[in-house]
Amino acid sequence: MTLINLAFKSIINRKASVLLTLFTIAISVMLLLSIERVRQEAKQSFSNTISGTDLIVGARTGDIQLLLSSVFRIGHANNGLSWQSYEYIKAQKGVAWTIPISLGDSHKGFSVLGSDESYFKHYRYGSKQTLQFEHGRPYHNAQEVVIGSEVAKQLHYYLRQEIVVAHGMGNTSFHHHDDNPLVIVGILEPTGTPVDKTLHVPLKAIELMHGPKHSIQHIAGRKDSSEDHDHDHDHDHDHDHQSHNYENLNSQPGDIIGQPKQITAFLMGFDSPFYTLQIRRNINIYKPEALSAIMPGVTLRELWSMLDIVEKILLLFSGVVVLISLLGMLTTLLSSLNQRRRELAILRSVGARPRHIFALMTSEAVLITALGCMLGVVLFYSLIIIGKGILQAQFGISITISMLSNYELLLLGVIMVSGTFIGAIPAIRAYFYSLNDGMSIKV
Amino acid sequence: MIHISDLTFSWPGQSNPTLQIKDLQIKTGERLFLHGPSGSGKSTLLSLLAGIQCAQQGNIKILNEDLSALNDAKRDKFRADHIGTIFQNFNLLPYLSPIDNVVLGCNFSKRRQANLKTEGATATSQATRLLAELGLDENTQHRAVNELSIGQQQRVAAARAFIGQPELIIADEPTSALDADNRDIFIKQLFEQAQQYQATILFVSHDVSLAPLFDRKVSLAEINGASL
Repeated sequence: MTLINLAFKSIINRKASVLLTLFTIAISVMLLLSIERVRQEAKQSFSNTISGTDLIVGARTGDIQLLLSSVFRIGHANNGLSWQSYEYIKAQKGVAWTIPISLGDSHKGFSVLGSDESYFKHYRYGSKQTLQFEHGRPYHNAQEVVIGSEVAKQLHYYLRQEIVVAHGMGNTSFHHHDDNPLVIVGILEPTGTPVDKTLHVPLKAIELMHGPKHSIQHIAGRKDSSEDHDHDHDHDHDHDHQSHNYENLNSQPGDIIGQPKQITAFLMGFDSPFYTLQIRRNINIYKPEALSAIMPGVTLRELWSMLDIVEKILLLFSGVVVLISLLGMLTTLLSSLNQRRRELAILRSVGARPRHIFALMTSEAVLITALGCMLGVVLFYSLIIIGKGILQAQFGISITISMLSNYELLLLGVIMVSGTFIGAIPAIRAYFYSLNDGMSIKV
Repeated sequence: MIHISDLTFSWPGQSNPTLQIKDLQIKTGERLFLHGPSGSGKSTLLSLLAGIQCAQQGNIKILNEDLSALNDAKRDKFRADHIGTIFQNFNLLPYLSPIDNVVLGCNFSKRRQANLKTEGATATSQATRLLAELGLDENTQHRAVNELSIGQQQRVAAARAFIGQPELIIADEPTSALDADNRDIFIKQLFEQAQQYQATILFVSHDVSLAPLFDRKVSLAEINGASL
């Protein structure tokens, strides 16, 4: 019978107190791993949102605010930038591509983003991945909308369905663009980024939604809104605007840009990295209007450094919880030690040396910590399986169910080592008890 | 087998010695009955023989090995290899089965394990055999220890002392909880086991009525100069 076997049987004999200790450790391990996983995934999720974009340009504001509002749909841009400025900067030497972005409208709590065809062509996320269509295709005219996977999933939307958008952000809006229904022509594949929770419309649609009533009828591409629109169109706004021409998603390409006056921001890519700093400098000193150009990678790093203290505090708290649970184990082992002096004396009588007693007690602490860690990992995976949907829906953080990372394994290793050290305290005490008590049992 | 000469032992903090034994010899295979009233130093003598305590003066030689010349670790090893102990209150581990309790007896001794190997037995097979010979059937051997009767628990304790054939069996008032019939049966079984490989038995008790069962009787009160 090995010492580990003996330790295991001794633990089973004291299962009530040991189980409580074990659960305390398991819950603290679960908490630590969960915080670490959410932290990593949130960071990963942020980092994955944009890729391959050299500059983001918007009206003069804080770098982080511009990044958050334009890419992550967090907060709002205070001002827009003029279309003329956009056109001017776009025409600069070295600019490979630009994606205009117009934000400000919403649909049932999901952001509406106005752009042009370049969005589907040049926008990259993750490891420079392009947006892929799960169903349908990009918009061809101002009556069409492409929705993110999460929008489709949560609102149970499907191709060819007509929807209306609201002015302003949030779940509730008092001003619906009810007279400007949009037809869903595309549903994007999941990206794990805010794109999934966005409705993508042409810039022209944004313009029309905020323009004079009924002007939507002038949009090219809809056969029943032909040039002779003097027919008596029934605007009963019952959302029953189902287009008769979208059965095969066939529509006439039309103007998708229009004549916008302002956009919220635009993303830029350059032919060579050499241009990035040069054009950024030019934009920041651009005279006609005050603009900011930010490099997403640099600004993300600034954001992380700001959040670093919060991350550290969170880790510290969960570390303290683990420490408390290990101290709980110490209390349990120490309190049971006096009752176990008879057991130690019996072991001494059959030839166990004080070092065996020390090893036995340490093995128990190691076993309890190891079982606590294992149970904690099981609870952790159970929690992320259960909480995955809520995190995605509420915070947009996509948690992947993957193997433990090296860092997470390192954390478990630190807990194991700490548990062993803490277990050595009652073990040392038991060692001296066994030296003093010998075979004569004094309790 | 055991040779004690000019032994003096005092507990720390006590000015008077607890034990003073001029000479005591026990031969190999002898069954010695050591008796004495409470406080006569029986337990102290046993802890000295087991190597838990060390005498301040004099020698204790077991199997020609001077215990006072050995360091703590070597005395522990010597005890594990050569001495089996049966306690008055059995001292079985409640979370182990009778079989596991017996196997534990040779867990910390490579010598006892080697003895089993020489016999072509494993610890478990030897434990099973010993328990069966001491009257515990197969079914009882796997029950929880605290479900056993006092007599059965005492037999488990005896089997644990005998496993791996230690040369010396120290029995510290092992029959005090047994009635007369069971006491005699237990002692008979003890002798049978010891006879199988010529083990020496040092039987400590205050019940002098047991003395005729043994080869020799020694009164600790008579040989302990400290209590005179």
